[in-house]
Amino acid sequence: MTDPTPEPPILEIENLSISFFTRLREIPAVMDFSCTVRPGEAMGLVGESGCGKSTVALGVMRDLGANGRITGGRVKFKGRDMAEMSDAELRALRGREIAMIYQEPMASLNPAMRVGRQLMEVPLIHEKISKNKAHARALEVLHDVKLPDPERIMKAYPHQLSGGQQQRIVIAMALMSKPSLLILDEPTTALDVTVEAAVVDLVKDLGRKYGTSMLFISHNLGLVLETCDRLCVMYSGEAVETGNIADVFDKMRHPYTQALFRSIPLPGADKNAKPLVAIPGNFPLPHERPPGCNFGPRCDYFEAGRCDAQEVPMFDVADANRHETRCLRFQEIDWSRQEIGEVATQKTEIGDTILRMEELKKYYDVNASSLFKGGETRVVKANESLTFEARESETLAIVGESGCGKSTFAKVLMGLETATDGHVTLDNREIGDTPIQKRDTATVADIQMVFQNPFDTLNPSMSVGRQIMRALEIFRIGKTEAARREKMLDLLDLVKLPREFADRMPRQLSGGQKQRVGIARAFAGGARIVVADEPVSALDVSVQAAVADLLMEIQRNEKTTLLFISHDLGIVRYLSDRVLVMYLGHVVEIGDTAQVFAPPYHPYTEALLSAVPIADTRVTKKHIVLEGDVPSAMDPPPGCPFQTRCRWKSQVPDSRCEVEVPPMVRFGPDSAHQIKCHLTREELEGMEPVITLATE
Amino acid sequence: MEPLTWTGALSPLLPVLWTAAAALLILSVLRLVCGFVLAPGEATTHADGTLSVTRGPLELIDTAALWTLCATLAVLGGLLVGGAALGHGAGIVGGMSRQLVPVWLALALMLGLSYAFRRRLGLYGKLFDSTIGVSGFALVMFWVFAALFVSFDLIATHDPLAQSAAMKNEPPGTPYTRMIGEVAEGSYPYFLLGGDNLGRDVFSRMIAGALVVVQIAPLATAFAFMVGITLGLPAAYHGGRLDTVLTFLANLILAFPVILLFYLLVTPEIVATGIPSYMAAVMFVFPIAFFTILLNSRFHTRPRLRTPLLIGVVAVLGWLYLSLISERFGAIDILPPSLDLFDIPGGILVVFVSVVFVNSPTVFRIVRGLALDTRTRDYVAAAQTRGEGAWYIMLWEILPNARGPLIVDFCLRVGYTTILLGTLGFFGLGLPPESPDWGSTINDGRRLLAIYPHPALAPALALLSLVLGLNLLADGLREESLRD
Repeated sequence: MTDPTPEPPILEIENLSISFFTRLREIPAVMDFSCTVRPGEAMGLVGESGCGKSTVALGVMRDLGANGRITGGRVKFKGRDMAEMSDAELRALRGREIAMIYQEPMASLNPAMRVGRQLMEVPLIHEKISKNKAHARALEVLHDVKLPDPERIMKAYPHQLSGGQQQRIVIAMALMSKPSLLILDEPTTALDVTVEAAVVDLVKDLGRKYGTSMLFISHNLGLVLETCDRLCVMYSGEAVETGNIADVFDKMRHPYTQALFRSIPLPGADKNAKPLVAIPGNFPLPHERPPGCNFGPRCDYFEAGRCDAQEVPMFDVADANRHETRCLRFQEIDWSRQEIGEVATQKTEIGDTILRMEELKKYYDVNASSLFKGGETRVVKANESLTFEARESETLAIVGESGCGKSTFAKVLMGLETATDGHVTLDNREIGDTPIQKRDTATVADIQMVFQNPFDTLNPSMSVGRQIMRALEIFRIGKTEAARREKMLDLLDLVKLPREFADRMPRQLSGGQKQRVGIARAFAGGARIVVADEPVSALDVSVQAAVADLLMEIQRNEKTTLLFISHDLGIVRYLSDRVLVMYLGHVVEIGDTAQVFAPPYHPYTEALLSAVPIADTRVTKKHIVLEGDVPSAMDPPPGCPFQTRCRWKSQVPDSRCEVEVPPMVRFGPDSAHQIKCHLTREELEGMEPVITLATE
Repeated sequence: MEPLTWTGALSPLLPVLWTAAAALLILSVLRLVCGFVLAPGEATTHADGTLSVTRGPLELIDTAALWTLCATLAVLGGLLVGGAALGHGAGIVGGMSRQLVPVWLALALMLGLSYAFRRRLGLYGKLFDSTIGVSGFALVMFWVFAALFVSFDLIATHDPLAQSAAMKNEPPGTPYTRMIGEVAEGSYPYFLLGGDNLGRDVFSRMIAGALVVVQIAPLATAFAFMVGITLGLPAAYHGGRLDTVLTFLANLILAFPVILLFYLLVTPEIVATGIPSYMAAVMFVFPIAFFTILLNSRFHTRPRLRTPLLIGVVAVLGWLYLSLISERFGAIDILPPSLDLFDIPGGILVVFVSVVFVNSPTVFRIVRGLALDTRTRDYVAAAQTRGEGAWYIMLWEILPNARGPLIVDFCLRVGYTTILLGTLGFFGLGLPPESPDWGSTINDGRRLLAIYPHPALAPALALLSLVLGLNLLADGLREESLRD
């Protein structure tokens, strides 16, 4: 993977320190950071939000803004110290030698300029070539990033393209001048899983084709495993471990890396037998870092008087290739000890069915023009014949990408919308036609929701306690203000937040803490069904496990039914009992977790499983890349919703996929596993597993 | 008696002032020119986390300019302090400064206390981190205090309506005399800023004019906000036909020429039909509706608290409302005189109504835009999923989180209303002809502007400084609220 080449490295960062200066104090963002990127090498930079990984990228570009400064160390590009370059030299370098790809594609493209002109601008400015040549180059690169019909794309404006296509354009723009170093700052975070898989695949291919070195910044260890050769783990402004992917993943020598791997749901983790281990405590604020080792206060191996005595330098790990760790005790710790599975809990008994959906349909009318009625009315079929049931103390995961109708279904269940057709029954009572205003308090309190974005879930101008107490008031719990306050404090205990938080404002809380308040609020009325809409996807890896475990624990005690909406199959596999896969408003597959994650698959489930990056070197995945994007729900394809991207379509005779919606094929002993596909039972059963775990 | 000079006994300070000001001007120009030529100093960081900048010629100019600025301000301060001590012995400036002593004390006390406790005062406290914001705030508070103390008869030197034929168009600093009869014992011996075309004291009229503005502008703007909020929130939240109709109405009002509207509203024939009174009756319902809905949506789950609270609020506001709209022998005469708390002079009511009427559509639009944005937040969805009423969500979930831009707009809009009042006064609309408000005074002074500029200049500068202060305050608030 990395034979030591005599070629000089592309990028050398030596003891780089970057600080931001505010009116109050200096805030060190990056401290003593070193790394080397060799030609053709892909370096991954991994860490939680706020650890300084993006600041490193900006430092390399020397674009730190007005109050950011490099306070120490050097950045050498192709052997030249960038500090000695003039502004003009730096300008010539940026975009030409070093290109950067950002997280949000729409924000990196000029919305007022056609794509073609934006692409051509790069060589026109940097290489002063003729317009025709630039045009030809743009077409070539667009072809390379696998966009269909490059001529049409060149004339399009950014908003006319989908998110995946936009990100491909951004990549194409970065490649226009054939840079030697490409910096990718979370390039796929804003994209759907299957689109992300395709973009990652593309980046890997292009890196190989153009021989570009890459600095790949991500919070997703699985993604880094798939794309990079080397990896640098950052924590609180410092690099804590650097090395080859295989070394860091399998022979980690820093407690933080180890803790990180224990807190992400890898295949084999199980919520009852082998629960995740969350990292205790919180990420330190940049100006409140502990003395000595930054990870010290949260570390299992912390030794007082030693770990907090002095700054810890990087140590070389002897038996590996360029493997370094920032841990004083790395030679004393027994790294082979596995701690997962220490606290096994009792599996909960699944009770009676309490929620049932039958043939639920939800259509929206979209009028072409609201002024002149009577024109053609277009219908968005957000949900198409949803049928399933959920039982007491069960976790039912609902998996699907954006636009698959997950949120619409949640809205109908909550009563924010009424169903167009079909039935929703709660305890055998029909609620699908009852909007929330007409529901009685008990029904409303029974079905509650936990939202995705922790920074949006709490009202910023109301104290935490007040918000929970308001929910109690609305659900008519507690007779007096004092009784409600007592109950609110109990709820804070339930979600393991200190009682002092009652008087804090949401902005004083971290993301994970806000999410806990959101959970407390949802359980204020003793909810029996909780819809959790991606409750952990916006949280940092180390916090995700803690919040997920909290939900599980409450579920065990309160016998709650959890409808867990997510696109992260790792966490779904870890905590759900049953899984429902949705695509364009249809349920395409439903079954027990084990059944869904093993063949037979629906072709979409198969692709989804292949697309999700797994941070485990033991896993080998079958490589399936879906072409194109999810079709619009305004204009769904006829027949099977998935037929436009299905790789099995040719196996079905008479192009039936394009004509009729397939029936549910039932598998398993009690026909609980259902797949909506035209493939024959034999063909489905004959599928190979996507994920295989190498046995050690 | 000799006429007063501008600075009297303190005139030796004047050369210092002019020198410092001239130096400041020259240095500023120099800095601007050199900025294109010379490179700024290099900033270096040290191991202890401090930052130092090398000193080049540019930095030297900066320091010098800062010193001259300080010197200029110090001399100006000296003139005011010395003036406050010496009274009109220190000329016109001294005389005015002495008259304004209550304002100076109030300002110093307020700013000093606020600065000391600024960390505990939320957004208002943060204002003190911004020089621009705090200067604006000081300017605004200067006029607010001036208006407050003039209503206690503390600042004005003469009755703003009293005329003296001997003082017609006399320049600033002229000793007070009367054509007929003697000057009353104990009256102020000078017209500090001269006399206007009817021989009234310009200084007293300027200060008295502040009272008119400070009484009407914030209150009218607050009413406009309540109308705009009460209509804008449901328009954004419910959307659909309600939104279409309300937005259309707002556009209709905005498209109508404002001045023509004012002329129409104050025309005696129109006033006689009672249209302004009816408009007032409609518009003043909004605050009652606003507070009723606000409290009810919040406390409807606790009827024991809600019911007495609402009865109290509605009773008080309702009484105020009835007193406000009910006028003896007017268009609406419903309240017996024994219960009528106060009567608003017809002219003021018309001005009030017009200002609210013209401002509310703009506020409506701003609120609607802000609410459209906030409506998509998860905490709004969370409120919906626990079955909150629409008004609770609008007033308690959406409105508080749109408050930043609304506060900034409120400051700007008070400034705009101040100008509007000036315009109305200038055209002689609504307010009585003798009224000392700034618009009328400017209009009076306008006719002899080429010969005697002082009667028009004083109120014009007053208007300018108040509006400038409001704009600076809005800027400072915006800056500080963004920084959070």
